[in-house]
Amino acid sequence: MARVQRLKRRLIAELVAQNVDLVRGTPDRHLKQRRRFRLGSSLLALTLLPMAVLGSSRLWAPAFQPVPEPASAARPVARAVSSPPPSSFLPAPRPIDPSVFPLAVHRIAIDAGHGGKSGGTRAPSGLTEQEVTLDIARRLKRHLEGASFEVVMTRDQDREVSLKDRARIANQARSDLFLSIHLNWIAGGNTRGVETYYLGPTDDPELSRLAALENRESGYSVADFRRLLDGVYADAREGSSRRFAESINGSLFRSLTSVDHGIANRGVKTAPFLVLVGTEMPAVLAEVSCLSNPEEAGLLAKPLYREYIAEALARGIRRYALAAESAPEKGI
Amino acid sequence: MTERNVLHVGIDLGTSRSSISASNGQRHVVESYVGWPLDMVAKKVLKKSVLIGREALEKRTMLDLHRPLEEGLIKDGSEKDEAAVRELLRHLVALTGVDAAESKKLQIRAVVGVPAEALRVNKQQVRKAMQGIADSLLIVSEPFAVAYGLEELLHTMIIDIGAGTTDICVMKGRLPNEEDQRTLTQAGDWIDEQLHRLVRERHPQASLSPHLVRGWKEEASFVGEPVAPVIVNAPVAGKPTKLDITAEMRQACEGILPPLVESMFALLSRVEPEYQERVRQNVVLSGGTGLIRGLGPRLERELQAVGGGKVRVVRDPIFVGSDGGLAIALDAPDGDWERLAT
Repeated sequence: MARVQRLKRRLIAELVAQNVDLVRGTPDRHLKQRRRFRLGSSLLALTLLPMAVLGSSRLWAPAFQPVPEPASAARPVARAVSSPPPSSFLPAPRPIDPSVFPLAVHRIAIDAGHGGKSGGTRAPSGLTEQEVTLDIARRLKRHLEGASFEVVMTRDQDREVSLKDRARIANQARSDLFLSIHLNWIAGGNTRGVETYYLGPTDDPELSRLAALENRESGYSVADFRRLLDGVYADAREGSSRRFAESINGSLFRSLTSVDHGIANRGVKTAPFLVLVGTEMPAVLAEVSCLSNPEEAGLLAKPLYREYIAEALARGIRRYALAAESAPEKGI
Repeated sequence: MTERNVLHVGIDLGTSRSSISASNGQRHVVESYVGWPLDMVAKKVLKKSVLIGREALEKRTMLDLHRPLEEGLIKDGSEKDEAAVRELLRHLVALTGVDAAESKKLQIRAVVGVPAEALRVNKQQVRKAMQGIADSLLIVSEPFAVAYGLEELLHTMIIDIGAGTTDICVMKGRLPNEEDQRTLTQAGDWIDEQLHRLVRERHPQASLSPHLVRGWKEEASFVGEPVAPVIVNAPVAGKPTKLDITAEMRQACEGILPPLVESMFALLSRVEPEYQERVRQNVVLSGGTGLIRGLGPRLERELQAVGGGKVRVVRDPIFVGSDGGLAIALDAPDGDWERLAT
């Protein structure tokens, strides 16, 4: 009994701290420490799920039908584990070496745009880019880990991370792909849609403005910057980044247009986003929605829509990984 | 401030129904509808400037009717819906016996439950709506409020199925984080939409309304084998007609199972192996839609795929969230409430 009371006191204290952060508008300290979710649990749960769900449920009528993808899409789990263990519990979360899977791509760096003082764009309702990108990033992480990818997050809480540090985190983890998640803001409020960028020059003054906005608080020194720019446009990653961007953008548009008919495909573009400069792997920046558009801002406030976006991004990554697996190329 | 000057309340602000439990012993539930008279004539007939709950629903033809919550959250961007939420909250507090004059003499400390995956902006909307209604406010994840009220804080899975959302949460003796909980939008409203669509497909001439279909579901929802045919009355081509909707009811209700089971297993797989058995044996089903006949046994059957488990339905699913909120409100120290002023 005393133990329960102690537990209750601790939980109330955590809850109050979380709410005080909400009142003050400071980042949620409850989110600061997260146990890293290990790949093993998700991997084996994925093996059990189709058996349990499809085997015993007569009906399968999800509200959202994923866009079909090739049957052999990058899901190495089926090859790795052919049957569930005959134990009475779901498999233990234990680390697993993703290198056992014959994938050219297995470690993904997910970059939730903005965070902390760098809030990014903000809808009139108060919805901020930093919280939406983090929410989508967490959902995407869940999807990717469920498909046996290893995930590195450049931030997993509402805190500021410089663009330099974002690239450093991805590089140090030897990530195979880098995906930066952002929300667009286009003056006027009527424009809506998705667009995806990879590193390159642009003549479009609007894109230069957007890049300048996103490049604030980069954390790079002038010397860093010159060294980085020397190699930018002769970058060997250009081809793979473009294909990665095409896969992400195509998946985003195909998925979201089925639930949001007004959405436009604003296409794959190049722009000098600094977060893409310092990374050493194929890297893209996806503007997954337009917070300046009231309808999209309304949709982004719904968990289900953010889930759609995360699913679409996961599908784009899997498609790219599958293509890379079947035709490994230099630079991946 | 002495204890008699303080009123603690727990509020479950639901898409379909909202409930309040207060420290003065009052407990009330209202349907989450708010309506304003459409014109001066309606105002004269109704003799009220605003109608709430069942009364609003029954007199909807004379009202600008709002259901201000969607998927468990305040609808975004509509001032009318924001005003409706405030009216609803004010009404709930008034139901506890605290009128406007009395509320000035009392310090009202409220705990309000929101869906597990609500964003900060959603919580800020709730805070804004509660300004002037409660003096201090704590916002909690709804399944956590349920778990707290039941004192099931360790090795328990809470499945709270409401109208707007299904919240699933594993209690691990800590405040649940995003790895411990999921929110699905396949819940009561989703079943209504499926049932409406299925019945319309089979009986295209039938006149159906969302309220009529919801009533059928509340009367006869089930999963598994039917114990009796589900026969309802509906006008078909203007004539009252009996319709057998047994198959449609079953299909609509069973539609929530695949995502629910998938999420249940995904959350179970994140539990340390030595505790999985305990969690499986301690699955708690709550919320109005959790009352679907046969749902508990069906989930137990699904759990057999991973070693079996036990699912129990809470005794009072309508008030379990608000009772949990009240328990939290009563346990929070006085000093903490001062930091949580609205």
